[in-house]
Amino acid sequence: MKNIIGLFMVLSILVILPTVQIVFAAGDEAGEYIDRRVEIWNLFFRMMTVAFVVGAVVSGTLIWLIWRFRESNPKATPTKYEGTGELDR
Amino acid sequence: MVLELQKPRPIWQIMFSTHHTDIGLLYTIMSLAFLFMGGALALAIRVEMFSPGPQFIADSMTFNRIFTVHGTNMIFLFLLPFASAVGNYFIPIMVRYKDMAYPKLNAIAFWMLPPAAALVWLGFADFGWYAQPPYSAISAPSPAAEMWIFGLKIIGVSSILGAINFIVTILKCKHPDLPLSKVPLLGWSFLSSSLIVLVAIPTFAAALLMLLTDRLGVTGFFNPAMGGDPIAYSHLFWFTFHPEVYVLVIPAIGMMYEIIPRFSRKPIFSHSSGVFAFVLLSIVSFASWAHHMYATGMSFTEKTVFMVGTLAAVPASAMHVFNFLATMWGGRAKYSTPMMWSVGGIALFFSAGAGGVVNTAMPLDFITHDSYWVVGHFHLFVFGTIAFGSFGFLYYMFPFITGRMYNELWGKVHFVLIFIGAVLVFFTQHILGLYGMPRRVFDYPEIPEWIAMNQIQAVGAVLLGVGMTIFLVNLIYSSAKGKEANMEDPFGLGGKYYYPYQAKNPHHD
Repeated sequence: MKNIIGLFMVLSILVILPTVQIVFAAGDEAGEYIDRRVEIWNLFFRMMTVAFVVGAVVSGTLIWLIWRFRESNPKATPTKYEGTGELDR
Repeated sequence: MVLELQKPRPIWQIMFSTHHTDIGLLYTIMSLAFLFMGGALALAIRVEMFSPGPQFIADSMTFNRIFTVHGTNMIFLFLLPFASAVGNYFIPIMVRYKDMAYPKLNAIAFWMLPPAAALVWLGFADFGWYAQPPYSAISAPSPAAEMWIFGLKIIGVSSILGAINFIVTILKCKHPDLPLSKVPLLGWSFLSSSLIVLVAIPTFAAALLMLLTDRLGVTGFFNPAMGGDPIAYSHLFWFTFHPEVYVLVIPAIGMMYEIIPRFSRKPIFSHSSGVFAFVLLSIVSFASWAHHMYATGMSFTEKTVFMVGTLAAVPASAMHVFNFLATMWGGRAKYSTPMMWSVGGIALFFSAGAGGVVNTAMPLDFITHDSYWVVGHFHLFVFGTIAFGSFGFLYYMFPFITGRMYNELWGKVHFVLIFIGAVLVFFTQHILGLYGMPRRVFDYPEIPEWIAMNQIQAVGAVLLGVGMTIFLVNLIYSSAKGKEANMEDPFGLGGKYYYPYQAKNPHHD
């Protein structure tokens, strides 16, 4: 459980830090200019890349799970809980 | 006493009953009726947007009225009552109590909804489902606006009464041998969402009163001409309704927690992480409301706080997704209709969450704000996740309610059509938003990309319409003529029918 929470905290920080960084990039001092439009679209494409990569991994896992662990799969075997009454509750 | 439709009774016996399964049946029927009515409005919207220029809706005012009632109806008269239906059927059984804690209050909470629905539908207001001032405070036509305000007021009171009932039933009426930590995750989902309702709804109740007095000219809370601030309404509204999104999604996730282990023939992978994620979601639901208002001149610090607060929902949501995946891993899953809806709901829940991360990043929010992206994101949650979970659970409850089985083939056809339709409509809306099309518009210029994407959506909407028609026919036909269900094990999973089976015992034990 602690490992899971730790993993998610690290992942969250990895998402948050680049976002905060780009917002601070604007700066407050005179003479500092950035093209916000370019920066924002850059950020958008970077985040969409992350989202699509994570999405592909999770969706791929989900599709594989559906395929592999369906009851009609020739490799399917009864789970250790079946017939024990544990699932009746 | 449980199989209501198997033992015919006079309708008034059900209508005036205070038993939790009777109230659950009333909630189910009412919410489904409004689902189909609201769906018809959605279809009208998409057909109207098929190409530029007016198609069959005469003017923008009528169009505004249609999407206002569609949104209000789907959230308050379909999703919320359906969740109440599930809670009424299952919560007393899960905590092993004879009924809800306050049966008469339960009946009152239900019977407040039909008059509220009548006010919303007969008024047919035109200011969007959140009644944004200053238009709603100054110039929205009467009496539609007042009817909407009173309708929502009644629904809010009904929600609070229902929430109190669920909280007391779970915390105070559960069997002494059942520790809270062992209450099923569906029960935890109702406890979490009910606590959110109790904290969130009073703020909107106050906002509605302020809006009403503004309309009467007595006050000027949201009227700039009288020194008021329309943005204040947005804060009050979203303080209630961002958590309200979680009020809707948490029970839907709870329903999936009931179905996925059953049909995978395994216990849930981690009960404690599910509880933790529900509690975490409940807390962070209050840390994100102002992300709806990044574009209103908030300070950088405020925006950062709410961005981080919103992103805090990501780990909790991801915990649910991974819990589902880990539960399915190593199982022997039967893909009956309820399981298909649940798995489809998980996939779309994940997609909706990924889009939400983009919305909450404040620089990116300026790209997507008030565009069709937001419409797509919101609908992926409310339809792709919440409605998918609800449809799956309705199929799961069907033998419990009627004593008969629905037609499995048509249930699967329903799922396939709706899944394809939802992807066509709501994913396309995301892209359309990036192409710059604003939401809530009656007409649009002849930009080829916009026309193409609106037409794709119209095709998707027709698929949704066909799918929902099949659903309706399947429900009605199977209720009357469906094959009698094997109440020991209607889905052929090799076990008993779990909680519904236990409910056949009047003492639920």
